[in-house]
Amino acid sequence: MSCVTTQDRAVSINPTRSCAPIGAMLANYGIHGAITINHGSQGCATYPRHQMARHFREPVEVATTSLTEKTTVYGGKGNLLEALKNIWERFHPTMIMVCSTCLSETIGDDIPGTIDEFTDNHPEITIPIISVKTPSYIGNHTTGFDNFLKEIASNLPDKRKKKGETNGKINIIPGWVNPGDIRELKHIVREMGLHGLWLTDYSETLDGGYYEPRPHFARGGTTIEDLRSSSKSLATIAIQRYIGGEAAHIYERRYNVPAHVLTMPIGLANTDAFVDTLTEITDHQVPEALNVERARLLDAMVDTHMFTSGLRVALFGDPDLLEGLVGLVAEMGMTPAYVLTSSESKPWAERMVELTEELGVESEIIIKGDLHELHKRIKAKPVDLLIGHSKGKFIADDEKIPLLRMGFPVEDRFGYHRRSIVGYNGAISLVDEITNLLFERKASLVVSNTIVELGVEGPTSAPITFMNGKH
Amino acid sequence: MELKSSTTIPERAQHIALKVEGGKCQRGDGAGCAIVSNSATTPGDMTERGCTYAGCRGVVGGPVKDVIQLTHGPIGCAFFSWGYRPHLADSDFHMKYTFVSDMNETNIVFGGEKKLLQSIIEASREFPEAKGVFVYNTCSTALIGDDGRDVAKQAEALIGKPVVFFECEGFKGVSQSAGHHVGNETIFRQLVGSVEPEGDFSRTINIVGDYNIKNDIRTFEYMFEAIGLRIITRFTGNVGVDDLKIMHKASLNVVHCQRSATYIADMMEEKYGTPYINVTLWGMKHMAQALRDTAAFFGLEAEAEAVIEQELAKIKPKIDYYRERLQGKKVFIYQGGPRVWHWIELLRELGMETQTAATTFGHEDDYEKIFEQIEEGGMMIDNPNVPEIEEILTRRRPDLFISGNKEKYLAYKLGVPFVNGHTYDTGPYAGFSGMVNFARDIDKAINAPIWKTLHKKARPAPATHHSSHGFAHGFEEGE
Repeated sequence: MSCVTTQDRAVSINPTRSCAPIGAMLANYGIHGAITINHGSQGCATYPRHQMARHFREPVEVATTSLTEKTTVYGGKGNLLEALKNIWERFHPTMIMVCSTCLSETIGDDIPGTIDEFTDNHPEITIPIISVKTPSYIGNHTTGFDNFLKEIASNLPDKRKKKGETNGKINIIPGWVNPGDIRELKHIVREMGLHGLWLTDYSETLDGGYYEPRPHFARGGTTIEDLRSSSKSLATIAIQRYIGGEAAHIYERRYNVPAHVLTMPIGLANTDAFVDTLTEITDHQVPEALNVERARLLDAMVDTHMFTSGLRVALFGDPDLLEGLVGLVAEMGMTPAYVLTSSESKPWAERMVELTEELGVESEIIIKGDLHELHKRIKAKPVDLLIGHSKGKFIADDEKIPLLRMGFPVEDRFGYHRRSIVGYNGAISLVDEITNLLFERKASLVVSNTIVELGVEGPTSAPITFMNGKH
Repeated sequence: MELKSSTTIPERAQHIALKVEGGKCQRGDGAGCAIVSNSATTPGDMTERGCTYAGCRGVVGGPVKDVIQLTHGPIGCAFFSWGYRPHLADSDFHMKYTFVSDMNETNIVFGGEKKLLQSIIEASREFPEAKGVFVYNTCSTALIGDDGRDVAKQAEALIGKPVVFFECEGFKGVSQSAGHHVGNETIFRQLVGSVEPEGDFSRTINIVGDYNIKNDIRTFEYMFEAIGLRIITRFTGNVGVDDLKIMHKASLNVVHCQRSATYIADMMEEKYGTPYINVTLWGMKHMAQALRDTAAFFGLEAEAEAVIEQELAKIKPKIDYYRERLQGKKVFIYQGGPRVWHWIELLRELGMETQTAATTFGHEDDYEKIFEQIEEGGMMIDNPNVPEIEEILTRRRPDLFISGNKEKYLAYKLGVPFVNGHTYDTGPYAGFSGMVNFARDIDKAINAPIWKTLHKKARPAPATHHSSHGFAHGFEEGE
């Protein structure tokens, strides 16, 4: 049976998570022509920009109110007013999102009040200006994204909705994924003959093409008009519980748009659930094209199962990603031996215990954990594969196990932001990549599994396990 | 000289200047004097600047290889400063690990001192081989008034190793530059001179202000050794705590980055009487001069000449090859500070001209040195922001942009060849041999076939998707 453990240390060593403002900045990139003002120290804008540039390989532009020693004494209101004015005059954005920081929250700046004062003094500026609370000392990067979505859901949709009025679309909240994932979700929705309204859509803004001349705002992103009409959608689907789940419920409570909060559609069963939800909401049937993709995924899992069954895998990352991923890992016959997140959510951990039991696998679910903790577990009892973001490379290098890069950030490889891990197609490419990673490792050792482990031919439940870090 | 993208922010004109006829300075606001620098950023101007913490943790303290690098604050500061700056060493503990006291809301309300103390103790228990702990303060922990110095003292007594507390909270200064100062001052006060080793230190130097980005040090260290000198301490690239403790024993400080590290050379001169010389360890002329000046201090001129002759002969044919390919190309350099003026001469040696020079946190002396070196028609800009950089790349159309990772993808989106001068794509770039790498990368960037393909084959963005209302950056009108 799976168990839940908690890391018991004050110090965090190699954390898997970063902080809230970057989540709000990323989400805001999914709105066409929207600009972020980060109200705090310059580093609070520059560090996340740098991190996003390293992951997406795109220019990432975020404004800062450049608070300094003086403004922390007298308050940052003047700086924020000036920043709003400068951003408006130079860019004429479609929306401005102001997110807070440790600094502005600790000194107690009233951001919404300052925004009101700004709009009162500038009645000609009619774009939405929203504020999102993102102090770094509460939650993590996902918190910022989630808070952003709650602000959008509460403030932007048109409240004057006539009974039965609909835009015929489905709100879809992809959460913290990659541009490639959003494109794959769009593909599924399109194949179903449906129209999605994406909250929010950074599939092109953060994975753009080369155009001459450079467009003034990055192409793509959800428009303000779409956000306004999102209260008239048929339903809302959130594919991450912790990012967008609550926003989906706000749509349900305030605008009567039914909420469907799902497990991230990674692997066969989870993608089926997403597709089934689309058929439930509408009367559309699953088209042949999607059924062909689904069959191809089954075929890929059959083809590879002899090489993946029985392997032990360590996973780390955000709760939603892990919840979806254990589905695929189990479908491939592998054991998610360690599932580690920095989140402190006990309900999540309890759900993971139930989920792994349903899937017939045994896991150690580690909450409040960091990568040093995971490394210690792996040293004590090795695994064959590590799945998580780029910072896992230190464990992978030390223990000589392959790292499947997934999540945020992937900063030491190219193109991971372009691929998808969701949907049938995403699962197919994951099945292939996982198998190939294991092959490459075996090829470099030039020995067969069984001989390595036992020195004799014979059955083994965990091939190649013994090689970890011992060679 | 005025940038259209900044017409709505009139004070920006004071940060921009042209070198006009007769070598005079013409500032954007019409004044004929030096540009304004090291001043507070205009809020919301889309600056590229970072914070004081970044300058201290990322630049000065971060490269120290055998200490626990612990951030006292919330998680983000530690996560974002972890392992991306390639200040390499002969071990990788400092690159592989980041430590953070992970302040949460309760800690912010009730104070984080206890948690900091516990964090230091736990971290040193997990890594007993570490030689000390560097603790970096952040905005929130400074604001709630945690007495980190006191905690560091307590911790030091408990773990029996140096615990160095850096008061480098992000909001402290106008840029990273303040963090360099804090880093220098703290290391000097807490570590330098705490051990008195025996031995002969008559022919010893410190390399001050080189951070061993992609092993820069390897390109020049052996030359100083060939002259007959021993390097005691590298401040702070490939350096351990024990080296910092005996830094005061060196006969001479050789100061390379004169923005981020002159502070410690000054303090050592005052306290220990250690003289220092300013050098540039990039480019043929400067590197040779650095060896000459250093050698002259010790009366080893002949040895220096022999090394210079031998080393220059090795690279000359290669540099000649690249000069031919790069002749006449115009460059926009935008770096943190001194690299800009370090590189103007290096680029000239490659036949190139610096058309625009900008720094993130340069001070007056940096701009004086830049201004002296650029040609007439050259432009200088302090703390440029995103639209200004875009305007320069679009309107002045340099053949090459040398800057950092954040600016890289903007250059690429505008079809401008780019070399990463901050963290080097494939460095090292220092010394004589590093200059060949630099030239190779510049050649690779400028002469890559992709640019022809782009300009021949690229199409405008399809207008069907979304059209923005009006011009985003405001300078395209009338062009």
